[in-house]
Amino acid sequence: MAEHTVASFDEDLRQISRLINDMGDLAASMVGASTKALLETDNAMAQRVVSDDAIMDARQRELDDRAITLIAKRQPMADDLRNVVGSIRMAGDLERIGDLAKNIAKRVGSVGVSAAPRDLTHSIDSMAQLVLIQVQAVIQEYTVGDATALAKLRNDDERIDVKYTSVFRELLTYMMEDPRNITACTHLLFCAKNLERIGDHVTNIAENAYYVLTGTQLPANRPKQDETTMSAPAA
Amino acid sequence: MKPMLSTDLNAADTTVEKAKIEVKNLNFYYGQSKALKDINLSLPERSVTAFIGPSGCGKSTLLRVLNRIYELYPKQSAEGQVLLDGKNILDRSQDLNLLRTKIGMVFQKPTPFPMSIYENIAFGVRLYEKISKAEMDSRVEQALKRAALWNEVKDKLNASGLSLSGGQQQRLCIARTVAVKPEVILLDEPASALDPLSTAKIEELIDELQADYTIVIVTHNMQQAARVSRQTAFMYLGELVEFDRTEKIFTSPREKRTQDYITGRFG
Repeated sequence: MAEHTVASFDEDLRQISRLINDMGDLAASMVGASTKALLETDNAMAQRVVSDDAIMDARQRELDDRAITLIAKRQPMADDLRNVVGSIRMAGDLERIGDLAKNIAKRVGSVGVSAAPRDLTHSIDSMAQLVLIQVQAVIQEYTVGDATALAKLRNDDERIDVKYTSVFRELLTYMMEDPRNITACTHLLFCAKNLERIGDHVTNIAENAYYVLTGTQLPANRPKQDETTMSAPAA
Repeated sequence: MKPMLSTDLNAADTTVEKAKIEVKNLNFYYGQSKALKDINLSLPERSVTAFIGPSGCGKSTLLRVLNRIYELYPKQSAEGQVLLDGKNILDRSQDLNLLRTKIGMVFQKPTPFPMSIYENIAFGVRLYEKISKAEMDSRVEQALKRAALWNEVKDKLNASGLSLSGGQQQRLCIARTVAVKPEVILLDEPASALDPLSTAKIEELIDELQADYTIVIVTHNMQQAARVSRQTAFMYLGELVEFDRTEKIFTSPREKRTQDYITGRFG
């Protein structure tokens, strides 16, 4: 893309891209660390995720300030306008991903004291890996400008939904088998739901990024496989 | 080249509305130099169309072809067709006076006549119509109201038009244009010499006038084009590069040259 006649305009846009990249890296690190802390009952790591969330919030506020100032000063048009508005929205989703990771981290202490079945943590672990790959990929594909990959990534959220449904059923089974599992499993259920919600935020980011890059919206209907509401009230 | 209109089914497609003016295969020459190259364009009735593009792209030239005002200057010629309600106005048999009552024009610099506010408006009307004093009073009042100037000048209609502020003078010129009951109004950078408040008044006026008139505006101010028009034509080096709904042009234009121009990446 050619540079703007006004060079400082390019610099303003670069600052916003840099913040989106930073927030994307931080979100991935928080998701990875929170699930690792959960599975390994690592309270110190959980505490770091909680403090990282404050950094995430500060980055989002900085991005909002820069984006609003850029709109006021430059009145961006076309791809620049889509970029700035899209960045505000993507930053909102990244900030929510940070909140959800923090929520997982805050449950580490509660789950850690009860003896959660080992098999169960395997399921959560594999779900978390799926989510982490999505979080890392979405900002990467946006940065390289690969709209096709973003459309695919949005559809790949289906795999997380399927996994969530299976974890949900598994947790119910453990709770029915032994009521002593209920406390730990309920916390894990919330963690699984948080991971599923993180997947939804990645989907939003992919949709926004696709619009920023192409100027067209992805079709509204996306494969949806969360079937837990069929068998129980949603978490 | 023929620009394509959006095929988005959700869009208000500019091709389905009744065309007031249709430009077909238009070429324009300043002496030997070709200033407009095979322009094809359809301007919907009772709607605002903006022409944008860098200096020298041909947007003002195209505007000047629409009421044949270019003929005031030597060695300028147009080829092709400009159909007003289906009738070619470039035809030699076209009555120019009649044409210019149907297609009024307002220029960049306000051009009030050195006479009273009342006479600025009555003068043009008298050229085309013989009406009584009472009817003329009413016509002047209506025109000044239409141009949102009445409340500011109703107590000083005999004051000179030149005594008004720049923004008021421009609205007086719009009133003068409206008074002869045109069908199309051409605006050539109508607010570029005005302060933001006067500009806002002109834009508000354009918004109101489009209920009754077909309006074409040439502007260097992209935000103004985005605010006031329903469709926008981007021109470059005498070519019509892209013509589409205004929101499409300013959010996701089809052509790279349009995108580069409106985002400030030109050259």
